[in-house]
Amino acid sequence: MPPMHALSQPALWPLSAIVFLPALVAALLSLPIIPKAREEFIRWVALATTAVVFAISLWMAVPGLFGAIGPAQFQVGEAGMQGIVKLPWIEPFGIEYLLGVDGISMPLVVLTTFLSMLAAAASWPITKHVKAYFVLFLLLETGMLGVFVSLDFFLFYVFWEVMLLPMYFLIGIWGGPRREYAAIKFFLYTLLGSVLMLLAILMLYFASDLRSLSDEQLLAAHVVSPAIAAAPREAAIAAIRANDAPIHTFNLLALAQIGQSANSPFAASKVWGMSLEMWAFLLLLIGFVIKVPVVPVHTWLPDAHVEAPTPISMILAGVLLKLGGYGILRICYPVCPGAGLSLAWLVCGLGVVSMVYGAFAALAQKDFKRMVAYSSVSHMGYVMLGIGVWSAVAGQEYRWDAWAQGVNGAMFQMLAHGISSAGMFFMVGVLYDRVHHRNLNEFGGIFNRMPVYSGLAIAVFFAGLGLPGLCGFIGEVLVTLSSWNYSRVLAVISAFTVILTASYILWAIQRVYLGAEYKGPHGEALTPITPRELSIAAPLVFLAIVFGVAPQLLFNYVTPTVNRQVETLADWTRRHDQSAGSVVAIVPAVTRNEVDASGESRE
Amino acid sequence: MDPASTLPLLLGLAWLTPLVSFVAILFFGPRMGPHGKSSAAVATAAIVVSLALSLAALGTWLSVHPVQAVSHDSHAAADSHADSHADSHADSHADSHADSHADSHADSHDQALPPAYSGDWYTLYEGGALKLSIGWYIDALTVLMFVVVTFIASCIHIYAAGYMHDELHDFTDHTVHLSDGSHFHRPGRFSRFFQSLSLFCFSMLGIVIAGNLAMIFIFWELVGICSWFLIGFYYERQSASNAANKAFIVNRVGDFGMIIGMMALWGALGTLHFADSSGQNSAGIETIRPGLLSLVRPEATHHALHVPDGMVKFAAADRVAEITLDHATRTEDGASEIASRVDDWRAMGYGRWLLFVAGIGIFCGCVGKSAQFPLFVWLPDAMEGPTPVSALVHSATMVAAGVFLMGRFYPVLTPDVLLVIAYTGAITLFLAATIALVATDIKQVLAYSTISQLGYMMLALGVGGWVAGLFHLFTHAFFKSLLFLCSGSVIHACHTNDMRKMGGLAKVMPWTAGTMLVGCLAIIGAGVPFVIGLSGYYSKDSILAQALSFSQANPSHSILFVAATGGAFLTAFYMFRLWFMTFAGQPRDAHISEHAHESPRVMVAPLVALAILAIVAGWSLPGGFGIAAMLEQARPAGTAATVTSGYLFGSLTIPAEHESHVGAIHETATLAAFATAAAGVLLAAMMYVWRILSPLAVAWVFRPIYTFLKQRWYFDELYGAIFVQPVLGIASLASSIDLGVIDKIIDGVAWTARQLAGIDAWIDRTLVDGLVNATASATWSAGIELKKLQTGHLRQYVMFIVIGTVAMFVLASLLLRSSLAA
Repeated sequence: MPPMHALSQPALWPLSAIVFLPALVAALLSLPIIPKAREEFIRWVALATTAVVFAISLWMAVPGLFGAIGPAQFQVGEAGMQGIVKLPWIEPFGIEYLLGVDGISMPLVVLTTFLSMLAAAASWPITKHVKAYFVLFLLLETGMLGVFVSLDFFLFYVFWEVMLLPMYFLIGIWGGPRREYAAIKFFLYTLLGSVLMLLAILMLYFASDLRSLSDEQLLAAHVVSPAIAAAPREAAIAAIRANDAPIHTFNLLALAQIGQSANSPFAASKVWGMSLEMWAFLLLLIGFVIKVPVVPVHTWLPDAHVEAPTPISMILAGVLLKLGGYGILRICYPVCPGAGLSLAWLVCGLGVVSMVYGAFAALAQKDFKRMVAYSSVSHMGYVMLGIGVWSAVAGQEYRWDAWAQGVNGAMFQMLAHGISSAGMFFMVGVLYDRVHHRNLNEFGGIFNRMPVYSGLAIAVFFAGLGLPGLCGFIGEVLVTLSSWNYSRVLAVISAFTVILTASYILWAIQRVYLGAEYKGPHGEALTPITPRELSIAAPLVFLAIVFGVAPQLLFNYVTPTVNRQVETLADWTRRHDQSAGSVVAIVPAVTRNEVDASGESRE
Repeated sequence: MDPASTLPLLLGLAWLTPLVSFVAILFFGPRMGPHGKSSAAVATAAIVVSLALSLAALGTWLSVHPVQAVSHDSHAAADSHADSHADSHADSHADSHADSHADSHADSHDQALPPAYSGDWYTLYEGGALKLSIGWYIDALTVLMFVVVTFIASCIHIYAAGYMHDELHDFTDHTVHLSDGSHFHRPGRFSRFFQSLSLFCFSMLGIVIAGNLAMIFIFWELVGICSWFLIGFYYERQSASNAANKAFIVNRVGDFGMIIGMMALWGALGTLHFADSSGQNSAGIETIRPGLLSLVRPEATHHALHVPDGMVKFAAADRVAEITLDHATRTEDGASEIASRVDDWRAMGYGRWLLFVAGIGIFCGCVGKSAQFPLFVWLPDAMEGPTPVSALVHSATMVAAGVFLMGRFYPVLTPDVLLVIAYTGAITLFLAATIALVATDIKQVLAYSTISQLGYMMLALGVGGWVAGLFHLFTHAFFKSLLFLCSGSVIHACHTNDMRKMGGLAKVMPWTAGTMLVGCLAIIGAGVPFVIGLSGYYSKDSILAQALSFSQANPSHSILFVAATGGAFLTAFYMFRLWFMTFAGQPRDAHISEHAHESPRVMVAPLVALAILAIVAGWSLPGGFGIAAMLEQARPAGTAATVTSGYLFGSLTIPAEHESHVGAIHETATLAAFATAAAGVLLAAMMYVWRILSPLAVAWVFRPIYTFLKQRWYFDELYGAIFVQPVLGIASLASSIDLGVIDKIIDGVAWTARQLAGIDAWIDRTLVDGLVNATASATWSAGIELKKLQTGHLRQYVMFIVIGTVAMFVLASLLLRSSLAA
């Protein structure tokens, strides 16, 4: 591809700016010319950077918001990948700088930039090594955004790792008393996940072959850019065809095309008795569910949250956990559909176990922040369940809409949880900044002391409770309703969670905000909410209400893409059954008659 | 004036007006007049506007669907139903349902669809054929509920403006002791009270107007949270916040069932709309999507209950899968073969359980909200809220929402579900009545009485008395809110809830005593048999008659009638015990009676208004208009005739309701009701007025029973032991598994890894520091400097990466080699 054309790709600068502007500013800030003592300056620069990134992402996501609609902007209602940026990077391995957004990633990108901005504003109370803090903070933002927009698996992995290191230091240096323990734990878990993920990436890479794709598929997957002129396009395709050896790829869209093809090499090749796609799916799944996190690989989360400073908790709960769900949705299912179908029970089961277990554990916590952390485990369980409810099977005549409802619900739940959990952690932080403890049993009477703050906090906690009219409700109800078609047992257990959720949230509200008087130390420090805090809390509450009342605002983005992916996979299921059936059909028809007869005799 | 557009507009506005008031008071409440005094005016104005709009809607409704028959006298003849709505339904259905089933059955009223209008305002979620939306379903029941809810709410808003005046200034709560020994002192919360009340009205009306079950569920939860706010209004009191949490969580237990019911419907049928809705299919062609009511009672079966195709197919998924796989390459053939087999499968019983689960599930939600056995325990505690709240939320409207929903959902209920409902109602009404016998807190008596009356309504629905149950809902709303407001007036005057400290108040508070007497007479169903009576006389008699009719049709279930009659006796006793203890005789506490006084006019006026309605609500106007007649107009299609069926619990006959209005059944029921009520009042008088029987002596003689009842059948203790404690136990178990098992494993892994990675760090430290602290290896040294962290742990990080990468490549090449071999 000629470089001149590549540099004129409409989304190149906006998407690259969204991803790399924070890193650029971080690099500038880290230069020695910025004196460490200029703390206020550094804070404002960081906040401004996050605000600019937020503005650019908003400009991309909401066409017409800032005037005329440009070609780089996101087309709401369009299901496919948009804003493709494609530049060669490490050519010998076919690794590309391939970015793009669709209805799944665009809202998550905006969520990330938005929460980063709020978290930067919430970082004012940080006074230790301010310069280093914001450098790492901005690097973290680059890592997160890069993961969401990468369409090259290798690039994805690089960003995934870029995210890990700043987070480790942000917890390990700016955290609470047991920060080192928490940081190491976070690190170990995540490292395990990364290693397994890398293994899966390599497996898929070496098993892939671009030559097996049709011309249309090559174009659809942007292996050959459909935007370039016809002649070079055909030349590029011909070059692929002419190759003798397999052409491996890290292109996620191409991997998905290969994985869903009738003779998928991932399904065909066996490794130690199990198909390669099963291995890849499981390895990726482990890597992703550690991030989600699901029980039993969740114990890094409570420690990391309790020790992390408030803004980092907001990022951690609001964005980092979503990366796991995003990865499963973006990579595991499209690339390894066969494994997804056979392991749907595992994904759903992990989700339901997390929902219930997390809720029970939240009920037992005495530390406010730990309680909120466990509520995240419980709420992210809905995401797993919603993604996994593969009900488009023969018994339901391949009806795809129930599963699509689950996936849409899971997506909504991710976004809603991003708002409500960041809000909850911020609300805990507001109290912690004042009284320096988080013991649930040593609060009380906060409503009388800080009425505006308490009103907002209760609203945010209600969003977490899944109260209708607030954002938490929609995702939960869609996921729960959709799970019935997949499994009655899991559906009933997931419905049971609503009781536990109400219990731990209301009990916490009662112990902290209600009651006659404050029971803990430093009661004199309970001053009303400051304007800075209000400017962080109010947008979160506002969005919690807006998305609760008008979920279509988000579904307009999410649904087309999700529905298309699910429809595609439902079709895949049908084809899969057919090809399996053509084998079965050779089995004498007598077998089926016997089944019928025995079925009749039962009645 | 097209009712199909006018009614949604009028009722939609009536629904949203309180929301406007809520938002206004939320932001500007404390600034509305001195101490937020004008917030009462704002909230009251809003609800009165709602009332006016609802009345306009009622007028519109009646102008289109006149209630013609001279019918309701529920004690009159059976034939009244035949003509009450024969001509009213056809045209309306042409309006609302795009002619799909308009006129074919206009000739036979048993099979006619009731007039109704439905539609959607906006969509919450849409994907494929599935759609969740906010919309309306308006029939005679909706319109009546709007009028009654807004009327009672208006009365209570006016009353509360007087009752809550303590909140207009700083308030010292003498029941709350602070750690320094003083009492709790706080600013007034006048505006916050009306803010919550407005939000409640909005939520409640949302349930009433809802066009689908999902919307009902949304507002169901919202009334729940309003109730949480209002019960916990005095949130500095531990008992109040406990009661608020208990109410919400117990309701969530019911909602758990309700979600399951919704899943059973949604998963198999893909809709939660009550009525059919029109929409475009994928090809852009206008199609009718059948709603729940016509799926379960389609025109094809003449509105008789049948298991919908979707449920049959869902239950027969194995067989569907078989056929689909057989026809894998030609899906149309598969679909048509499945369609042809559905009737066979239905006959085999596929899907019956699903329909049963759906009915029971939705009923579970109603059990929670309407405080039925076994989830009634929250309602008595809810009396911690201010009394106007008890009157509005916890007696007249919110708790009646469960009955309302059952009425709305009635066509979908199978006979088995109805039987469960009937027994639940019977157990509830009896159990709650027994506890009310011994309660001494005036609001507790009324709370248990509410539970008991809700039990009556459920019983009525369960035995096929659709009109009877909902009729009682309306009459009860009037007299129970009246009773609560009267009790509030008494509490306002005496500053205590304890009836043992009252007595002789009739002299000082004649208006309260008089209106409360009306309420008591209404609730016991007082009247001149076969001639005239208070509102409760009509509704309760129709319940008893239907229960009797059901018992005769199903002799094995005659206990239901016995329970209802016995309950009537207990009701009469405990209500007049309450009245006598409060108003009659001599004052028991001189201090209290000295300070007692009649309440201000702003509180008495609503009492009088409600008392008048408690008298007349059961009557029929000369034109034929009456609540029961109007309800008859909304009767679900296919429920007017006697039906004998039964899927799971054997055969069951649901007798037609009009049969219980005639002849021997009606007479027996009326006389039974009269006799039991009279006996109850007489016994109360003997014990508390004439003192022929000493209550203390009776209590002493029946000591075990008395204690048992006094302790409320030990339900709270029982639930604490079998639910709350185990849940908390599991919770701490989960928490300790995290700390004790999972983390121990992780720590072990970390420790091992660190030992490996720390070999060179050990050398480093010995060289640099010259000493090795052996124990330091067990813990990460606290307060480590930034530099140290970077040098020490970065090395580990790199080491991990190196080891990990090498391992990865080894593994990958191994895997790949074997995969290539395969």
